[in-house]
Amino acid sequence: MATDQPAIVGDSFALGYRFQRYWNTSMASAFFFGELGAGLFIVSMFYGVVPGMIGGLVATGILKAYFHLAHMGVPANSWRAMMRPDRAWISRGIIAIAVFVVFGVAYLLLQTGAIFDLDFDAFGGAGGTLPQTVKTIAVLAALGVLLYHGFLISHSSAISLWSTGLMPVVSIVYSLLGGAALTAVLGWSAMAGEVPDGMPSLHALALILLVGLAVVLFSLMYAALNGSPGARVSMNLLLKGPFASVFVPLVVGVGLVLPLVLLLWAPATYMTSLIVAVAVLVGYFAFRVFIFKAGVYDPIMSFAPH
Amino acid sequence: MARYGMAFDLRRCIGCNACVIGCKQENSLPDGVFFTRTLSEEYGVFPAVNRVYIPTLCNHCEDAPCEKVCPSGATYTRDDGIVMVDNDKCIGCNSCAVACPYDQRSVMSKELFDDGLFGEGELTPFEEQGYGRFTPGTVTKCDFCSERVDAGLDPACVVTCPTDARIFGDLDDPHSEVSTLIRERGGRPPLPEKNTKPKVYYVT
Repeated sequence: MATDQPAIVGDSFALGYRFQRYWNTSMASAFFFGELGAGLFIVSMFYGVVPGMIGGLVATGILKAYFHLAHMGVPANSWRAMMRPDRAWISRGIIAIAVFVVFGVAYLLLQTGAIFDLDFDAFGGAGGTLPQTVKTIAVLAALGVLLYHGFLISHSSAISLWSTGLMPVVSIVYSLLGGAALTAVLGWSAMAGEVPDGMPSLHALALILLVGLAVVLFSLMYAALNGSPGARVSMNLLLKGPFASVFVPLVVGVGLVLPLVLLLWAPATYMTSLIVAVAVLVGYFAFRVFIFKAGVYDPIMSFAPH
Repeated sequence: MARYGMAFDLRRCIGCNACVIGCKQENSLPDGVFFTRTLSEEYGVFPAVNRVYIPTLCNHCEDAPCEKVCPSGATYTRDDGIVMVDNDKCIGCNSCAVACPYDQRSVMSKELFDDGLFGEGELTPFEEQGYGRFTPGTVTKCDFCSERVDAGLDPACVVTCPTDARIFGDLDDPHSEVSTLIRERGGRPPLPEKNTKPKVYYVT
């Protein structure tokens, strides 16, 4: 039956919305690990949790790189990805990742004195010029890593759901939240005391970021539902359509509500921190995967009266 | 230097898809890969139902988002306005495909070249002569049959169209058929709100 509203038409030769199908789960994984690694490194650095810093570097430097190479059609040409920092966010991101990994590892080596016992003391203490410089560059590069994903996804107007200034905000909130949640787990044994000293402030940070995430997610949903037709179609897929049965429970229920409840009312134990971290990461990964799945291209034009 | 563009006369397009086949033959495209497609839209309620055919292809935008996001510089614009892809530089990241508001990019996955048209792992002579121009794993698209254009010919889809619904030419020449058609019949580009400044227009 002829209808006046464009439908989602897949690959058929009909006018309508088409799913974005070029960036799939491997790309979502690359985004996830890249952002998480940078956030974990930043938070762990400020709390002095060395396993967290190592985890952050591994997530970004190895896992993100693996998933990107798995996604690429010509991995042997991947070095070309940094050729256009003047206009391409991918190039800027690659450079940020390289700087982050180099200076992050350098800072770790300085902190642990792993190479020739050269630690902070050899360079004037933790506040010395060299350690501070290395730390600053590592943090700035990590910020670049966790922000470039959001700018990359929002830069193009092709996918209306993604074309919003909220995407970089989502990236920064999710990555720092994931970083805080994981640092609370990895740092438990690294900090002193039954409830480690740094844990209350880490839990408070996670709580604040969860509230921030709720605001950002609600804003994203509201803007999409009241914005362009393409964004509305995408958000309806996530909230009411075929993806709703997974998106809403995982992203909102597991990834947002559960950690909020636990942090507000559950006792501050290692198990609570572990469940919070797992829940946050599940919601975070689900968000990344389904934001990609729900992206649609607008119909190029329509002659139907609307 | 010319600034090439195309116009579609939607009063003439009958949805035969000869242009699609002509393009596939000219470019030796693998199964499932299309550089041009003729979409159809049906609207209205019986008995007042209408159908319109809408040819689509790469719009060779003045402000091409695919070129802006390409990290390797594989996507570039020639002096005559044709947006090209250098297969040797493409890394297959698919950012251009995601960035194109018109969904006019094609991923040349390795399986397309391994399986062949008949899916038996053996390429036909036609495929063997044609597939050499592609690099498996890269992303490519319509290039307005740039080799034909350089030889003074029109793109294959334009030549194939039985109703002359596709008009190709120099948009900077006010006397060209394409410029005249756009001016006199009020040609409109697809999705102008995306600010890509496409060089393909539709006239009704």
